[in-house]
Amino acid sequence: MSLLTIKELTKFYQADKVAVDHVSFHLNKGECLGLVGESGCGKSTLARCLLRIEPIDSGSIFFENEAIENLHARNLFPYRKKMQIVFQNPTAALNPKLKVKDSLIDPFIQFKKELSLSHFSYTSTDAFVKQLLEAVELPADLAHKYPHELSGGQRQRVTIARAISIEPELIVLDEPTASLDVISQKAVLTLLTELRETLNLSYLFISHDLAAVSQMCQRILVMKECRLVDQFNTDRLFDNERHSYTKELISIF
Amino acid sequence: MMNGLTLRLPKLKRLSWRGIAALIGLIIILIVVIYTFVFLRHDPNLTNLDERLQNMSIQHPFGTDQLGRDVLTRLLLGAQQTIGYSLLALFAAIIIGVPFGLIAGYKRGVIDRVFMRVGDGFLAFPDTIVAIVLSGLLGPGIGNLVLAIIMIKWVSYARLVRSTVLSESQKEYVLVARTNGLSPSKIIRKHILPHIVGHVLVLASLDLGKIILLISAFSYIGLGVQPPTPEWGAMLNESRPYFQSRPELMIYPGLAIVAVVLLTNMAGDYLRDHFDVKKEVQ
Amino acid sequence: MILSIEQVSISSRENKIVDNVSLSVGEGEWFAIVGQSGSGKSLLSQAIGQMLPTNLKVEGKIHFKGSELLSLSRKQFQTIRGKKIAYIFQDYQSSFTPFRTIGQHFDEYLRTHGVSDAKRRRIESIYALGSVGLDENLYKKYPFQLSGGQLQRASIAIALTLSPDLLIADEITTALDSVSGHRVLELLAKKQKETGCAILFITHDWRHVRRYANRLAVMKDGEIVESGGKHRILDHPKHEYTKQLIEAAPILGQGLPSGLQEVEKR
Repeated sequence: MSLLTIKELTKFYQADKVAVDHVSFHLNKGECLGLVGESGCGKSTLARCLLRIEPIDSGSIFFENEAIENLHARNLFPYRKKMQIVFQNPTAALNPKLKVKDSLIDPFIQFKKELSLSHFSYTSTDAFVKQLLEAVELPADLAHKYPHELSGGQRQRVTIARAISIEPELIVLDEPTASLDVISQKAVLTLLTELRETLNLSYLFISHDLAAVSQMCQRILVMKECRLVDQFNTDRLFDNERHSYTKELISIF
Repeated sequence: MMNGLTLRLPKLKRLSWRGIAALIGLIIILIVVIYTFVFLRHDPNLTNLDERLQNMSIQHPFGTDQLGRDVLTRLLLGAQQTIGYSLLALFAAIIIGVPFGLIAGYKRGVIDRVFMRVGDGFLAFPDTIVAIVLSGLLGPGIGNLVLAIIMIKWVSYARLVRSTVLSESQKEYVLVARTNGLSPSKIIRKHILPHIVGHVLVLASLDLGKIILLISAFSYIGLGVQPPTPEWGAMLNESRPYFQSRPELMIYPGLAIVAVVLLTNMAGDYLRDHFDVKKEVQ
Repeated sequence: MILSIEQVSISSRENKIVDNVSLSVGEGEWFAIVGQSGSGKSLLSQAIGQMLPTNLKVEGKIHFKGSELLSLSRKQFQTIRGKKIAYIFQDYQSSFTPFRTIGQHFDEYLRTHGVSDAKRRRIESIYALGSVGLDENLYKKYPFQLSGGQLQRASIAIALTLSPDLLIADEITTALDSVSGHRVLELLAKKQKETGCAILFITHDWRHVRRYANRLAVMKDGEIVESGGKHRILDHPKHEYTKQLIEAAPILGQGLPSGLQEVEKR
């Protein structure tokens, strides 16, 4: 079943400069879909567009077969609780003035009334935060610290915990490991794979690291200069029919 | 264990003796001012020409002035005028400036441009000129002076808040809040206001000193508080003819101004260090 | 051996950051130092060019082509740094002065190292730009008008204009995405073949080591935990930490970590 379908999505960042050029793809439920491309190819803009943080210029976005590209803030609300994002830089993605627990609880407070959680259960804020931190393998006493007291890997785990706190359908991972060192990268990727299975999540995994993407994802999209140039199942990665740009990427890793 | 220690140390250090001294000093001044308000011993405006220009005595600890009024009483009541009106001007400027800055920074676009051009217009006039022109138009008086100060000062708060909002609302945690469907007012309240409070407090405490000086200066040249109301600047002015024979009449209010301005600046420095989380991070 | 570092320690007032490190780089060799951030690898590379902040103290010996670098005076050192030992840094943005053109950077570099003829400086700079695959008209551009990959190419061009014997490349691809980083390294490898300079390559990315390095040393907490030939370390790591690092870096395909199989395929 298709969870997210993008049709001919186009976005200009200036009147004549295109950022995303007629991109179409779909994402199945429970799947991890990789989106690979070098910096400036429009992959992050695409992510922001389909989360409706940025307006799009043409095309359509279907979430669970419902067109959401023109919905206003209030009508978008039910979809917001099914989509979450994890950004590249966890330092910027956490409010430095808020304690970890306050950042963590933010989405939950927002969607409290509509939520029916199956994996986590809310009895009190402290207990809930503790569950979340446990789920991302962090000690519970981090809840009362500020982000600057945490390491980069810990911070990224906190943003992941925030994303899974409302048990969304889809998490957009925008280069979640790019700002981490090698060993934390590995650990975070392993954690993400485990969480996907236990919480039955779908991922759109955006990265320039083809090696990591091919380990995480079942299907891969390749983007170059604002266009989608290739899409295939991961086991067909080394096929001869791959786009020349995909082959170039393969030769790097 | 070690971790906790190293993290807590800088916080202890930041409670420096200067910060403590400034805060204690300000609190003492406030208590004294309130005390005089409640337990007044002399009528500050009661002229008694028999007792004019007296030296220190138990009856008049700081002596009397050229009209036989008790200097200590006038000094303390002057504090009420100077500090009181300064705080009034400051709060009004903050109350006008902060919302302007918030709206301009968060909405951006046309609203931002209009707000900021209006602000630039106000900023184009030097504060003294605005005050003099206003007094010229509306007549001298403390009310007009406070109005002039508000008109000049609100802009700097609006600009400060706007720049903070602009830089913070670009950050990804605000984007995350938006994907979670938080309304703009909620985002401002939960995510952006904590960043602003520190900045505004610091600027305010530094501004307080400047405003006190401004009010005193204008009262000194007769455009602020009008006699016979006691005010430090005005007192300086009134004692000017007796500068040779009774210099302490000028020294008391002068010292009072210096002390209060110094204390507010110290408090400002202290607050700046206190709210500077960034320094802690690096 | 063109460079040999003997029992070098770097310490601040409170603690030792680099502890008793020894290594040597041969002529024309690509030597990689691998480690995570905070392992002291960058400080070690800065110590070679006497570029450490003054609050850090260096002990030990660094021999470069027969002279002992740490005992040289500032003035003697200036003839070596830049001319014989060149640096390229991670942060390409701040490696260039923002308000000066790329051409002015070349010009200044050549002038301080003794090329007095302005016309020759210009010809040489444009030639150098061309040799790293950059267009001639970038000569008049400002740093912010170039992409990260282009700037890093320009840094390579500048560093190599005076044909140094040793090039120290400190995490030069970290700030680039993997595709442009790869292209920059291909270029560097090509230039190395042409000029025959030795490269001391500081990185945390195993993929680059696998592809380009001849020998490498793994650093952790200021110490070298393992060093040797590339195939020995990548395919038969001895130290637990090295194993952990290799395992953490994902690679495509089923080849050996050192990429031996890939080489055979071609």
